[in-house]
Amino acid sequence: MVLEREILPYFDWLFRGEDLLGALPQYLIIAAALGFLALVVGYLISAVRHGLLRGGDIVYRTVSSGFRELLETSSRRTWALARLAMKEAWRRRVIVALVVFVILLSFANWFLTSDNQDPVKLYVSFLLTAVTYLVLGIALLLSTFSLPGDFKTKTIYTVVTKPVRAGEIILGRIIGFTLVGTILLLVMAVCSYVFVSRSLNHTHQVETNSLSYERDPAGELLGYRGQTGLDAYHRHDIELETDKNGFALSNHGHYHEIDAQGDKQIVRKPHDLLRARVPRYGKLSFTDRQGDAKERGISVGSEWTYRSFIDGNTQATAIWVFDNIDASLEAEEGRGLPIGLTVRVFRTHKGIIGKPITGAIQVRNPETNLKSDLIPFAALDAKIEETTIDRVLVDTEDQQRDLFKDFVSTNGQLEIRVLCMERGQYFGFAQPDCYLRLPDSSPLWNYVKVYTSIWVQMVIVTSIGVTSSALLSGPVSMLFTVSFILLGFSRDFFLGIAVGSDFARYGVDKVFGGGPVEALVRIVTRKNVIAPLDPGFGTSVVQSIDLVLQKLMLSVAQVLPDFSAFSTVNFAALGFDVPAGRVSQDLTVCLGYVLGSVVVGYFLLRTREVAK
Amino acid sequence: MSEDVIVQTRALSKVYRDFWGRQKVRALKALDLEVRRGEVLGLLGPNGSGKTTTIKLILGLLFPTAGEALVFGKRATDVSKNERIGYLPEESYLYRFLNAEETLDFYARLFDMPPATRQERVDSLIKQVGLDQARKRQLQEYSKGMTRRIGLAQALINNPDLILLDEPTSGLDPIGTREMKDMILRLKDEGKTVVMCSHLLADVQDVCDRIAILHQGELKELGRVDTLLTVADVTQIRARGLSADCQNEIRDVISRHQGELLDMANPTTTLEELFLSIVRDSEARPGRRAKVEQPADPSAAD
Repeated sequence: MVLEREILPYFDWLFRGEDLLGALPQYLIIAAALGFLALVVGYLISAVRHGLLRGGDIVYRTVSSGFRELLETSSRRTWALARLAMKEAWRRRVIVALVVFVILLSFANWFLTSDNQDPVKLYVSFLLTAVTYLVLGIALLLSTFSLPGDFKTKTIYTVVTKPVRAGEIILGRIIGFTLVGTILLLVMAVCSYVFVSRSLNHTHQVETNSLSYERDPAGELLGYRGQTGLDAYHRHDIELETDKNGFALSNHGHYHEIDAQGDKQIVRKPHDLLRARVPRYGKLSFTDRQGDAKERGISVGSEWTYRSFIDGNTQATAIWVFDNIDASLEAEEGRGLPIGLTVRVFRTHKGIIGKPITGAIQVRNPETNLKSDLIPFAALDAKIEETTIDRVLVDTEDQQRDLFKDFVSTNGQLEIRVLCMERGQYFGFAQPDCYLRLPDSSPLWNYVKVYTSIWVQMVIVTSIGVTSSALLSGPVSMLFTVSFILLGFSRDFFLGIAVGSDFARYGVDKVFGGGPVEALVRIVTRKNVIAPLDPGFGTSVVQSIDLVLQKLMLSVAQVLPDFSAFSTVNFAALGFDVPAGRVSQDLTVCLGYVLGSVVVGYFLLRTREVAK
Repeated sequence: MSEDVIVQTRALSKVYRDFWGRQKVRALKALDLEVRRGEVLGLLGPNGSGKTTTIKLILGLLFPTAGEALVFGKRATDVSKNERIGYLPEESYLYRFLNAEETLDFYARLFDMPPATRQERVDSLIKQVGLDQARKRQLQEYSKGMTRRIGLAQALINNPDLILLDEPTSGLDPIGTREMKDMILRLKDEGKTVVMCSHLLADVQDVCDRIAILHQGELKELGRVDTLLTVADVTQIRARGLSADCQNEIRDVISRHQGELLDMANPTTTLEELFLSIVRDSEARPGRRAKVEQPADPSAAD
């Protein structure tokens, strides 16, 4: 599970933030800056049209009456406008979106084969991504063409000549289209859940020929081993008790129960296809090949610097420190500590294709420096390895130790260290790659949370669409909103260009090649993005223009929604629980956009001549 | 501003500009106007004279280039004034996917009316404008006349004190026109203030107390209809049942007093009166040829 940014606790995120300010202070500062800018621009336009004094009077009256009218917002009027927006959406055949979705589902099985190590990931990510784009498309079309349509047909005349506040027109539309989108989302959510469950549901036949007896040294029958037939592109190893009940062991991310019925073994439906793992993350640090502490491992040349690597058969180690460790974390009493580990394997020589690379896990008490013996494991690239660290471990001096009593410090800390054991091979890690496994959450509830994040994106697009359409014509408003979405999806890159060499402060990757004009020069002159431009007057001019553009881009980036960060599709696809903090943060951001949109939309509509 | 003055414009001017701010047309030039409580004021003028612009400025749909418009003592851009205003635009700009009931319910909600009042008002207005049979039909199925009627109903949904009507009889048949004029007179009787603009002079003459004549954005004349239309040096006598001798005697009297007889003849009714009379008769006696009342023939009395 890739988590490029740590998910902070809600109130930390809201008030304190990670490196910069908390979300709320940032929001207020941006709102104040935008408000000031709007005042200045508004006054300049009014002053040019009506003179200095009258211009000031108009701006004063607009602002003062604006805030009063925003406070006078009536729920009945807003709801009336919301109902109208819903009826309008219905009239505009919004139901077509559902038809498109059903067609998509009908043919999806042609392309989504189960011949995949992780079919759940394939199905879930495809469906949720399709739903996201479909819903965003609907939100875009509905929100950007509605108000301009009213202006075109002049129906707006009969609305604004009633005691309707401009903010109510904006808010009513946002609510109306949001409700329409919510209904569509609900239908899609149910359809896609049923589709995934039914598509991935399968069973197997037990290959009776493959069954072999398992006996203890005394020759007493312990059970049977064997395998299932090949169904849904995979087979399972099976273990049966003496009564021939048992399990088809985990493969393709699931397992089956096997019941004996007479002479036959019935393989039941798959378990753990859809999961919602609840991880508890620790803090990651590294030691290098000499054993010296480092903040990061080494780079293997990947441009994506999310993970760093440790080299095999050296002292290089990835170390996670977990807090608040006690016996309550055990999956079952006496079983030990369940953990999950994802390893990116970087091979400098092939070795045997398909053969895992050997690694080792070690636990350490950070207080007493007591270390366990190495616990070997086999690492396959990017596979989530779920294991349990035994309650009773052997230390480096062959003494039996209790995990919680001896390896956990008095302040509840435990170190989990991971090493690569093969020379010339590398393991890559990021902080979320090792975690303690808490009991799984409900996959259905997780699904709801993922749909909530899609809903959040839909509401933001609707808000931006409705607000921009208060000023712009339908097609222009749609282009504006599409640009907003596209920039939002690549916000980090956009911000990276805007901040240039100051990238670390904003927590984004460095973007090479300069600002927009410099990039254009490089394209035209076929110059690579790393080599500096030849010094001279032309370069100075280009970079000066870029400096201004970058400041503008930085301002725009402040109000861009980070759409890539909203998506929680990967959580569901990889079987991880979407943290509640993340959902509440997204909902808060959504509320922030809706409020901002209503205020901006109010002033855009209020200062527009309706009958022009 | 006096309590009795409902609408007041002070040097109200409007210049339409293009995208670059260059003047395209000066639609209204320094209009000073007062509309008093309970009167029906007609804005008259040819196309492009500034009538509709004036109404839109009063409603706040346009912003004045100079001057100001006050409605109930508030600026035209103040939304709260709309609580007491009803507006019928030139064409009924309504949501065609709603039916009559939904349309009125929607506009009633915009006045924050509680459900019971809303329902009562919607029912009463639908009956008042004669759309009871068509209350569930979508407006896109309505004829022009029906659309105007539902438009009028939405303008009256809040029982407004000031009603602004932009070309209220436009597109209506003679019956619709008469009903609209009757409705305006009824509103006047109820003490409402009506401002209407039209280029149909007969309509204005029939219902307006005062008229303002606009031309090229300028106010050319303002006054009471009866005063403006009275021809001071001409006397009109209308009588019924005069014999030919009596008519001759009248001619003699006029001549004796050095008057100039301009016309003495049997008057014709208006085409509107004739049409309405035929329709009334047809409704009373369906399937029969209409019997039109002829004016009495004076010679028959001899």
